[in-house]
Amino acid sequence: MKTAKETEGARAGRAVNAALGAAGLVGFLALGEAVPRLGLVKEAYFPPTSRIAEALGQELGDAAFWTALGDTLTGWALGLAVAVAAGIVVGVTVSVVPYLREATASTIEFLRPIPSVALIPLAVLLFGTELRSVLLLVVYASFWQVLIQVLYGVRDVDPVAEETARSYGLGTWARIRHVLWPTALPYVMTGVRLAAAVALILAITGELVIGAPGLGSRLAVAQNSQAVPEMYALVVVTGLLGLLINGGARTVERRALAWHQSVRGEVAV
Amino acid sequence: MRRLLAGLAAGLLSLTAAACGSSGNSGSSGGGSPQQDGSASGSTATVRLGVIPIVDVAPVYLGQKRGIYARHGLKLELTTAQGGAAIVPAVVSGQFQFGFSNVTTLMVAQSNGVPVKAVANGAASTGVVGKDFGALTVKKGSAIRSAKDLDGKKVAVNTLRAINELAVRESVRRAGGDPSKVRFVELAFDQMPAALDSGQIDAAMVVEPALATIKSQGGTEIASPLVDVAGNLTVAMYFTSRQYAEREPELVKKFQKATAESLAYAGEHPDEVRDIVTTYTKIPASLLKQVILPKWPAEPDRNSIEALRKLGEQDGLFPKQTPDLDALLP
Repeated sequence: MKTAKETEGARAGRAVNAALGAAGLVGFLALGEAVPRLGLVKEAYFPPTSRIAEALGQELGDAAFWTALGDTLTGWALGLAVAVAAGIVVGVTVSVVPYLREATASTIEFLRPIPSVALIPLAVLLFGTELRSVLLLVVYASFWQVLIQVLYGVRDVDPVAEETARSYGLGTWARIRHVLWPTALPYVMTGVRLAAAVALILAITGELVIGAPGLGSRLAVAQNSQAVPEMYALVVVTGLLGLLINGGARTVERRALAWHQSVRGEVAV
Repeated sequence: MRRLLAGLAAGLLSLTAAACGSSGNSGSSGGGSPQQDGSASGSTATVRLGVIPIVDVAPVYLGQKRGIYARHGLKLELTTAQGGAAIVPAVVSGQFQFGFSNVTTLMVAQSNGVPVKAVANGAASTGVVGKDFGALTVKKGSAIRSAKDLDGKKVAVNTLRAINELAVRESVRRAGGDPSKVRFVELAFDQMPAALDSGQIDAAMVVEPALATIKSQGGTEIASPLVDVAGNLTVAMYFTSRQYAEREPELVKKFQKATAESLAYAGEHPDEVRDIVTTYTKIPASLLKQVILPKWPAEPDRNSIEALRKLGEQDGLFPKQTPDLDALLP
């Protein structure tokens, strides 16, 4: 009885949240329509929502737009996959091998804050204006997000569990698989979610600045062509893409951590 | 869960395969040598040309479409980049065999020891005051009437210490003003109309299509700086790396001939130019009609480049060594 009431309450709360979210979005769009129409900003530089929506419709009907979207997503997915794989392997290795963590700590802290964008000249020199130059930026930026989370996650391993596994004679690999990995996984998923967003930002920035094919370079062309509504339409697309990617990453996180306290929290107690 | 992972793995695999496929195409050109089956025998060789998506490069797009490059035994692959800053290193490192760049950038690169070699003309000023594709503009109703009035005023150029700043300085000098009193700021062309309109800058050295936007908003031209530098100023050229020019003289010659032919074709067919521009830019049709096209002579104008070099020397653009035009130009 109590639980039924609770779920009902939760459902009502969710409905209110969704309604508030929709109202916020509608208000935002209406503001975007009104501000240029009232002449507070010039329509030529900040077109009203309806004009942007029209341009967006035209974009969606253009095959070249979908190619560009595919290019951007390819760069994003490949870069993210490489960064996640490398981040996990390097993070676990650094944590497991004795003294390696201490030896690499200062190097990691030195390399991590270097903005990926600062590597653009290097990327162009190595790979020209191709997908690979964007990949370099994406991998560099998202690798650290994963690596740092893996390092924190490994540090979180319960020493009692670790010692117990040792006394039961579990080997290094078995301890990684059964003790270290389940502890680190929530951190890893956080890292992946952060990396997914960073990878998208860097994929589009790379295309925008270098001119590698994708949404970013299409955005730059619109900008240089004085096609203002088209430019905003593409900005909207990148925003939507970010929203989808974040939603997707959260879903993957929830699925992978279905057993974990943080996800099943409300059921646990 | 397992199915989800399997799906993810399959997706990643296919993506990797796709990426390998696309990088495989360019892999052989990565080292600087094009995919070719004997250039001497007259068969087709693939060359990659890095361009900026602007009106100036319309002739090579036309030449590619009309089969002019194919007739000269070249398969031209056009790749767009966001500016000369990305094209010059890519050409020097062999990612592209050829590139498009403004002449000042090439001179600065050469004076800094970067091995570039101009091979064909790119685009030239129209040479007509008030009807050039680049102009010094002010906002509607501005008190500034000529380049002389720019004393202490803020003037936007796309790149500081490059062709446009040199040209504006020359215009001020010719109008009887003092260029050292002008405050130059750096701003992208596409942002100049808005900045001019809101009064953030007093004047803008702008090129098409942003120039057409400014004019459509009532802005006025107060000078044609590119014309002030020289009558028929060569603004941009196609170039290659010196290594490539030495290794593949035959291919370079073919590229020169095909490009000269394409430039001439573009000059004679302005309507086709306006058509092809819509395939690689997004300039709105209404604006494109008003855009003033550059001139595309088949050969660069050596005298105008000399004039530009003198201005560059005067304004300290080449601190290391003066560019050697005999080595740089074709």
